[in-house]
This record gives sequence, structure tokens and C-alpha cells, in this order.
Amino acid sequence: MSEAAPLLRIEGVSVRRGGRLLLDDVSFSASRGEIAGVIGPNGAGKTTLFETIATRDRREILFYMPDGVRPWEDRRAGWCLDFFARLFGRERDGEAIDALQLAPLLGQRVRSLSKGEAKRLLLALALSTPQPLLLLDEPFDGLDFRQTRGAMELLRARAAAGRALVLSIHQLADATRVCDRFLLLDHGRVLAQGDLASLRARAGNGEASLEEVFLALE
Amino acid sequence: MRWSEPRALVSKDLRELFGSTSYALLLLVAGPLTGLSFIAAVRNYTDASATTALASALSPLDGVLLPTFGAYDLLITFLVPFVAIRLLATEKSSGALRLLLQTPASLATQLGAKLLALIAGWIVALIPSAIALVLWRSYGGHLDPSETANLLLGLTLRYLLTCSIALAAAAAFANAASAAIAVLSFTIGTWAIDFFGAANSGWIATLARYTPAAMLRQFERGLLNADIVILTLAISLLLLTLAALILAPSKKQLIALAIGIALLFVRTHRSADLSEDRRNSFSPADERLLQSIDKPVDITLYLAAEDPRANDYERNVLTKLRRVVRDLRVAYPYGGRTLLFENDPRYGTIEYRIGAKHVVSRSTTEEIVLDELETLAGLTPPKRGEPAYPGYPLRAPPLHAATLFYAIWPLLVATAWLLCSRRTG
Repeated sequence: MSEAAPLLRIEGVSVRRGGRLLLDDVSFSASRGEIAGVIGPNGAGKTTLFETIATRDRREILFYMPDGVRPWEDRRAGWCLDFFARLFGRERDGEAIDALQLAPLLGQRVRSLSKGEAKRLLLALALSTPQPLLLLDEPFDGLDFRQTRGAMELLRARAAAGRALVLSIHQLADATRVCDRFLLLDHGRVLAQGDLASLRARAGNGEASLEEVFLALE
Repeated sequence: MRWSEPRALVSKDLRELFGSTSYALLLLVAGPLTGLSFIAAVRNYTDASATTALASALSPLDGVLLPTFGAYDLLITFLVPFVAIRLLATEKSSGALRLLLQTPASLATQLGAKLLALIAGWIVALIPSAIALVLWRSYGGHLDPSETANLLLGLTLRYLLTCSIALAAAAAFANAASAAIAVLSFTIGTWAIDFFGAANSGWIATLARYTPAAMLRQFERGLLNADIVILTLAISLLLLTLAALILAPSKKQLIALAIGIALLFVRTHRSADLSEDRRNSFSPADERLLQSIDKPVDITLYLAAEDPRANDYERNVLTKLRRVVRDLRVAYPYGGRTLLFENDPRYGTIEYRIGAKHVVSRSTTEEIVLDELETLAGLTPPKRGEPAYPGYPLRAPPLHAATLFYAIWPLLVATAWLLCSRRTG
């Protein structure tokens, strides 16, 4: 885990919509060089947390890739990558294209991509941005185990190069493999945060999986 | 700002527009619709030219240009909103807009790019009208450049306003269908205002002067009214700012909002009569006399708004007077009432008052009204000759028009659309 000053720090964030408390006093930080995982079941408040953080005045420092978007469906994947890079005054991210095995898909229209293929395209788009902090909502959803492995390696490499990555993941096994630090969310409340060892210590079980830790702390 | 951003955005929106089925359909319809109007107009013009009484006053503006460009009024009302809504609504629903809002490109640049693409789309959609004008000239028909350009400007402003309404609706509503219903409801609302404004006075009649259709009518009469141009641009700016505020509010947008609101109240009272037959002007001699009146001129019209004489008077006299008399005040005491069958001795009269002098008349004829006013102001009415407009009769069949508009144009559009949609992306 990085010791550098956090790129982003939020303190005591609460969100209430339609009389429902979606986030309750959440504090959180993200630093360069680390991959943090926001962990929780469906409805825990992961996406709400990301959308609360990703305000337009923070667009200089962070880029948020939401889950479930499929932009420019009538265009080819290669066009999407080029267009997006041009908006940031950059070139297409060749390393990401290779690592995510996107080369054979560049000539295909986004509409025709499978769920996993579209997710890899979104990952490549997000990684082509210059912002130091990336918020990725369910980055491995729809990927098979080989693709997940490749994506994880790429994310690790980008974190090692100095970016901060915050991933929202509901597959706890995937989270354990890629994240350095975890924020456990349930019903909008922070159950705990820290690395796996400290979470295990809090749960009183030094061998527990992340799932067991979560269940012990909820 | 790097130029690569707006270039990339405009290029994206151009591809999006030209590759879309909705725009292709608009283009496909534009040809035959313009052709139908043009061919009918040329035939009617030929028939009218054969009549000696009509031939001397025949104007290509009324006879050919208005019917031909009338097709575009239909397109703007019924098809353009869908094309414009699609351009924003697709990005909203697919999530692309959420990504774009995180790029360095400002929202103003993004909406501006869409507007530029839509303007490019408008220029392409005008090709059938250009073909009609070329055909008309090839038949030996007359065209006045000023009144043609003015009509085109009026339609372009109407198009801009419709696009702005559509983009604001696309920003405000969750999906394209709701936005389209909102825009069509707005259009129907303005028709209702037009309808009730014609038969009433007061605020509804004032509002009816500023509906898109009423504003276009001024251009169709050959009048270039600076206030209408400013008002249309101000409303368009306000609507686009509203769209930006809904999508992602920022302090800069409040400045644009303030500018738009300030422009709404700008009144220059300047207009130019660009019609070749000077239908919006009195004779130069009369205009000089009327401009020299330095006291307020009060006109009280004892006519119901629905009375045809009131309409004639408004169109043939008041429109021209408003352009030249410095301080003109018009009152309509019976404007909102139906008094045609009431036994009121004042009904049907028009009272003119300049300073302490006043006169009452029943005439709505231009020459008589001018005589009354000028005499009341202590001026001597000038001698008036026959209008100098020669009229442009032409007897010519609409050669090649049917082939061009009904066969070649649809074929060209279909081929271009296929090529565009294949290349897109």
C-alpha cells in the first residue's frame, strides 16, 4: 500500500434520496500506486459512492467508468478508442489494447460486441484517460477467467506506474486477487476498511476469506 | 482549449447525423416534398401569367418561393425535432454523455458541436430548394436576391429555434420519445396561441406575434426585423443554456442565462423592407412626412379582432406605420369582444389623435389613412402615382422537375446514406 498523500479524501459523506439513506457517514481515501476495492452486496451503495465522488469539478483528477454503459453503439470499437484519446490530446493506448486482447475487435461495431468484449473496450477507454485516479464500476463483470487475469495484470501495472485505482467489485474472490485495500460497505454504512490482514484481525480469524470477513463484520 | 477537441466532437456529431436513419428519411422526404410544392407553384404561376389582370402584379416571392420553401416549414415542424433529439438522446441513454462530461471538452463545446452538425445538416437539406431555384431561373423566372436571402434567413432562424427546443427537451426528458412529445406539444401550443391571438387582443395577441410561425411570416412578407432576429437568437441561447444546466450545472451557464434573458428585452425597432414590391413600406414621400411627425400618434381602433377590416388594417396600414412613425400608440377597446351585431355607433370607426387634434374615419384604405394622418399633423399629402413594381409573369412548364425531385434525388439520398452508414465508425 502506498504511503503517499491521498489523491482523494472524502469525509463523512451521507446521501439520502427519496427518504432512503443510501450512504451513511462514509469516509474514504485513495492514493497513487494502490488499488482499492469497494466491496459490498447489491444495494450496498457502491455505485452511489462512485457517483457522489465523481463530480464534474473533480474531472481534472479522476475518471469514472460506470457499469452498464455502451457508448456509440453504431461505431466501430477502434473509432471509439481513437475518438476518446483525441479528446484528451492523446494517442490510442496500444498497451491496453494488447493486454485486453482488443485488436481483433477494433473493426467491429460496439453494438455487436458481447458483454465481456464491451467491458474490455470500456476498460481500455478508461485507461486511455490521463486522470491520475480511476473509479471503475464492476471492471471484471462479463470477463472470463483468462480475460480477468489479463485485466488484473494491466490494472496492477498502471497502479505501479503511479495511478490510483478504485474498483467496485461484488465478486469477492476477484477483489482479493487484485486489491491492496478494501472498503466494506453494507446498506450504505462502512463496515470496515483496510488491507486483508487488518480486516482478518478485526474479524478475529487470521485465515478467513474476504467473504468470511464480510459476514463476520456485518 | 485545444482545437482537436471541438474538431473531434464536430466530426463525431456529423458522422452521427449523416449516418442516422432519421436524417436520411428527412432528406428523402425533402426532395419530393419540395418538388411537389415547386411543380404545383410553377403550374399555378403559369396559369396566373396567362391572365392579363394578374400578370402585371405577379411576384415570384408569393408565387414560387413561398410555396417551394413552405415544404421546409413542414420538415422543420414535424421531422427536424426528431433528428435533433436523437443527436443528444442517444448519447444520454447509451451512457456516452457521462463519459464525455468527464473529458476536457466543455459542455458548451459539446452542445455547440451538435448545433454545428445540425446546421451542416440544414445546408445539405436545402439542396432540393437550391435545385428548385436553379430550375426556376433556367425557365427564365425572376428572383430577387434580397427577398430570397431574407426568406432563407427566416427559415434558418426557425430551424435554429426548433433545434434548440429539441436539444433542451432531449436534455430534460429521460428518453427520446418523451422529448419528442414535449416538442410537438410545444408546437401545438404555439398553433393554439396563433389561433386565439388572431381573434383576440391583449396579452394573447401580443404573444401570438412571437410564435415561430408568426415570426416566420414577417420574413415571408420580405421584412427583416432586427428585433425578431435578436429574439430568436436569445430564445435559442436560453434553451441551449437550459439544456446545459440540466445536464451539468455550472456558474458559467448562469452568465449565458443572464445574457440570454437580457437579449430578450432588447428592442431596436429597426427593420428593413427587403421585398422587391416594397409591400411593407409606404411611398418614400409618405415615409418622409410620417417620420417628420414628432408628436405621439394615437390610433384607436373600434373593431373586434375577428373583424376582417381589423386584419386588413393591421396588415396593410399598421405594419407599415409601426416602421416609420416614431411614437405610435394603438388601442383596441373592442379587440377581445364580438360587437359586429351590437348597436354601437362607434363600432367600425378609427380615431386618429395627434396632440389636441383628432379625426374619426371608417376607412381602412392605405391612401385615405395616410391623407387623414398627414393632414392631422399639419402636413400636405404628396401626390401618389401607381406602384413601380412591374410584376414578373412567366409561362413555362416545370421541365425536368419531376425527374429530379421524384427519382434522382431519392436515389442519390439512398446511395449516400448507404455509403455513409457503412463508413461510419
